[in-house]
Amino acid sequence: MDRKSLTTMKRKLLEHTFSVVLVAAAMLALIVQFGSNRPSLHADEASPLADYLSWRFLDFGDPLDRALFNEVYDATHPGSSVSGDSLLQAIDAYRREQFTNELYKTGGEERGITEQKLWKLGGMYVQFIIMYVVVMMLSYYGAQTLGVVRFIRLKQHRSSHIAELVDQFSASSSSHDRSRLSLFGKSIVLVGEAIVKGLFLLILFSPAYVIAYSIRTEFSSGSYAFMIVLGVVSNGLLINYANRFYTLLVAESRKGYVETATVKNLHAAYAWDAADGIRRSAVLRLRKQFFGHVFHHIYINAHIQFQRTLKEHASFLITGLIIIEMALNIQGHLSYEMLKNILYRQYDVVLLIILGIFVLVKLTDIAVDVWTERVARRYENVSL
Amino acid sequence: MTNQSHLPRTLLRARRDLLWLLVWIGGLIIVGAWDFAFLNQPALARLSRAVLNTLFVGTFVVCVSCLMGWLSGITLHALSEARNTFLYYVLTFLFNLIRSIPQIVGVLIGYVVLTLLIRADVLRSELSQLIWMGSVISVFVFLEISDLVRERIQHFKNLDFVDAMLCCGIKESRIVNVDILFKNSRAHLLHKMISVFGITIFLLCSIDFIVSVGLSTDVSLSNFPMTLGGLLAKLDSKQDILAISSAFTDFGSIGALFFEHLQGVSTAFIIVFTLICIYNISNAFVKRHRL
Repeated sequence: MDRKSLTTMKRKLLEHTFSVVLVAAAMLALIVQFGSNRPSLHADEASPLADYLSWRFLDFGDPLDRALFNEVYDATHPGSSVSGDSLLQAIDAYRREQFTNELYKTGGEERGITEQKLWKLGGMYVQFIIMYVVVMMLSYYGAQTLGVVRFIRLKQHRSSHIAELVDQFSASSSSHDRSRLSLFGKSIVLVGEAIVKGLFLLILFSPAYVIAYSIRTEFSSGSYAFMIVLGVVSNGLLINYANRFYTLLVAESRKGYVETATVKNLHAAYAWDAADGIRRSAVLRLRKQFFGHVFHHIYINAHIQFQRTLKEHASFLITGLIIIEMALNIQGHLSYEMLKNILYRQYDVVLLIILGIFVLVKLTDIAVDVWTERVARRYENVSL
Repeated sequence: MTNQSHLPRTLLRARRDLLWLLVWIGGLIIVGAWDFAFLNQPALARLSRAVLNTLFVGTFVVCVSCLMGWLSGITLHALSEARNTFLYYVLTFLFNLIRSIPQIVGVLIGYVVLTLLIRADVLRSELSQLIWMGSVISVFVFLEISDLVRERIQHFKNLDFVDAMLCCGIKESRIVNVDILFKNSRAHLLHKMISVFGITIFLLCSIDFIVSVGLSTDVSLSNFPMTLGGLLAKLDSKQDILAISSAFTDFGSIGALFFEHLQGVSTAFIIVFTLICIYNISNAFVKRHRL
């Protein structure tokens, strides 16, 4: 690695580390702050009204006991600014709160960051990371495959189905009856293909919750496969990154070396499975290679640039996964836990989860920076 | 053949962005007309309000993030030119920090603050709440425009004409703002603004759906202004879109989707259709302007 790229790499790593340390410090400070200011679940112990409720001989739901309490209180506190009636009202409000306030109802046993909770969150975090990595790999492969297919279609001079349909109708005005009949058949096929493509696009652009709720209404914590599929195909993730790769392929194919390579007898035809064309199996492979074809070089060069977009891909993917877990209300998952804790105003737990997600994004950034730097070193032929 | 008969093909080939814009507007009008005919009045009023609010926030975010992106872009450029390294690194660090927070998490935090503000009676009117929503989303999307502004300035800085203009005594601020950004980067900026609009619709609908589903099941929080995401999260809308899957197994119920389940189906369709159209407008725009 030359000195300049080494310095750039060091600077990037330093910046990532610094931001992780700074954000972690700020968040931990806030976590401690929120933890110490947490409203006590056992508020009755601190409240002066709790003393009255601890009197076992008195039932505040019984009118006789209430009247008795009122009279005794007024008699024993003649100079008090608080009357027996108003004290009874306060006790009623307090008792009502104990039944209605969510602080007393749910999640009470788990309030705050305890060791038990940390283990639980740790498990969810690991689960989230595994899902993130799986969806990342699948969408990375899917985006490249779709991008390549689209590029090859472009090279085959295939336009959109609607454009082809319009062209056919224009041509049919000057053709004779028999060819009109065959054009009609072709048009039906085109319309059919357009409908299938339309449905496919509807799925790819649908937010995850639209697809999910059109299939079922309840989702269990074990729906991993379903969530992974949703993570890949929904929220526009796959289509947007396939489009990005396609754009890179198109830009690369316009460069001068492509024509030079063609002149030097590298294959340049794009017909499927032809001797000098592109093999379908090669497109579907995990490691795509097109030896002897000019597209091999277009693909490699576009792929290097595509790697650099992984940071954005990662951030968008995490957004998608969070949307899926939150919108589907899947219990036992990290994002649902975050939403639940926002609801219960346990902001220290929320901040801890956000910190975890932030660290994951930063780790991805570092990994992408290191990876792209290594690839650049291999191709840019730099030396010390 | 007359010029008029060429129009569809011209639109299809040369101005596909315009075509997709027409498809989007036409699609919304058709859905609106259908809903007007077959959807009950209260649901129609909710849907209209949700569409208008969503489009308002989308437009607001585009305007605000364009302004913020432009300002932050030229500020960073000016700081790097003035060799004010401390301020430059502080700002860059802050922006990178915003970049590292997944957009949905950032927006969710903004919504938590919005809930607190509504509870404290600080934000009362629907308009102010929508503006808050838009402002929060802007914070997490404006960097795309900021990056573009810097990229464009950097690109032109390497060309001779900037030095030539500086030699002619033209102020650098004028060169950057007028000649580079306004005159020579309008198409790029417009393309980015289209993308920002799409991202905003996606984020807004998603966050409203999440908030409506997740934050209101156990507790009656403040009611947010109705948007497409919020409307889709309503129980009757969810039941409507659930009917879509049953239509695949029971073909006879397909018709019911367009008459009995209109609220949910229309809402979901408008969201997805808008995202598809914006994607296509953006792609065709890039192609037409060779960006």
